[in-house]
Amino acid sequence: MNQRFDYNRPSTHHRAPSKRMLSWRILLVFALIQLLPARAATYTPDNLPIPYLQDRTQYVSNPDGILSKNTVDSLNLWLGQMEASHGVQTVLAVVDRIEGGEPYDFCMALGRKYKIGSKKQNSGLIILLSTGDRAYYILTGRGLEGALPDAICKRIENHQMLPYLREGDWDKAMLATVRAITKYVDGDDSLVGDSDFESDDDIAALIAVGGLFFAFFAIIIFAIWYDERKKSYCPNCHKYLMKKIGGKVTKDALLGMYTHHDTYRCSGCNFERVRTWEEFVSSGSSGGGRSSFGGSFGGGRSSFGGSFGGGSFGGGGAGGRF
Amino acid sequence: MKKSTIYVIIAVVVVLIGVYGCNTYNGFVTQDENVSRAWSDVETQYQRRADLIPNLVNTVKGYAAHESETLKAVIEARSKATQVTVDPSNITPEKLAEFQEAQGAVSQALGRLLAVAESYPDLKANEQFLELQAQLEGTENRIAESRRIFNEAAQTYNVSVRRFPANIFANMFGFTTKGNFKAEEGAEKAPTVEF
Repeated sequence: MNQRFDYNRPSTHHRAPSKRMLSWRILLVFALIQLLPARAATYTPDNLPIPYLQDRTQYVSNPDGILSKNTVDSLNLWLGQMEASHGVQTVLAVVDRIEGGEPYDFCMALGRKYKIGSKKQNSGLIILLSTGDRAYYILTGRGLEGALPDAICKRIENHQMLPYLREGDWDKAMLATVRAITKYVDGDDSLVGDSDFESDDDIAALIAVGGLFFAFFAIIIFAIWYDERKKSYCPNCHKYLMKKIGGKVTKDALLGMYTHHDTYRCSGCNFERVRTWEEFVSSGSSGGGRSSFGGSFGGGRSSFGGSFGGGSFGGGGAGGRF
Repeated sequence: MKKSTIYVIIAVVVVLIGVYGCNTYNGFVTQDENVSRAWSDVETQYQRRADLIPNLVNTVKGYAAHESETLKAVIEARSKATQVTVDPSNITPEKLAEFQEAQGAVSQALGRLLAVAESYPDLKANEQFLELQAQLEGTENRIAESRRIFNEAAQTYNVSVRRFPANIFANMFGFTTKGNFKAEEGAEKAPTVEF
């Protein structure tokens, strides 16, 4: 039985709820503080938020809010296109500070931890900008070293990123960099997107899921068959000859319950028995059987978390300081 | 106890030891292959660096002809290093130390060359030089990464070869421990700048 909170109820409990409300508000304030972007935080590869894992359309990790929302949206769009068309899986992180201040070490640790990029193509890409350390790095997966050699990464950084970084325009720096990278990646036809091939892992997963479904249905069918066979068992002559010959239904309006009384007769020895079973009909008014699912942020957009494919990094790419 | 029962027990024990031996042997083979593969990657990355050197030397030569001593040192270290090769099936600690020493000499000569380049503003502004430098840095990173992977593979192999009772089979089939890279001497020291 669920109790409804009644504001108009003149009860002795009147003070208790208001006290509770106050403590709730305090809790809420604390929760909001937690949610606010923590300024000037120092990130490690372990505590850097990776939004991609919750939502596969989010490639950009912008925990300090350094990039504008419009920029993040554009970058996500372009990086999403790059993954769809060429299977290049990217993590772009813009943070205030990284622990140790070495962008290469940070990127490698990140790549090692999440294994960004597909296992087949090794086409992972990590772009890091640490504004507080005034350092940046483009780290390419082993399979991307052909499309984005170190010299090209350096060229992109020198021509597209550095001029804006010196002005402190982080948005433009990242937009120009990703734009340039997509051009180079588009020029490499050997990189193929997810839609063009299915990895062995995908097929194996498909077979596994199919097998599970098959097993599931087989169990259900067996259960139904077993149930029917049990009903046809005659306790008098121990033969499976009982058949339903009629029945009636009684209703309990209060509980919303129907009771079925089915009459079975054995065709071998004419033994008769009545089986009763109950059926509950939920009218929906009680609210007891309602189940609720966890809510999601992001304005009801339905999106699934992404997963990284097991790519490896051999140390390719280039970086620098400004 | 009947004699036949004893024979059966002996037969079962022999079969069990045989199965264990086969498993251990196959494990050694797999790990040995891993070490060899990791080693070939190490050599590939060092080769990559060696291939970059002529290009770098030529670029620097155009701007800093006076630094012929430094340039010559790089070329010499490179040609010495390319002569030191390690047989992947027989990576002994001594052989590996020799290899590491020769490649370390290249690293030092390259470091001096890049330090010298700092004093030539025209060279530092040269696009080609900057990109070569980036390639060199990337290659050094790749070398470090491939060495790390090699050391991991060698360590896994060494541990399984030396553990009891697998070490009995390792001795029997001739699997010996392999060398691994030691931290570069002076790598922990900050480089000194001389004027």
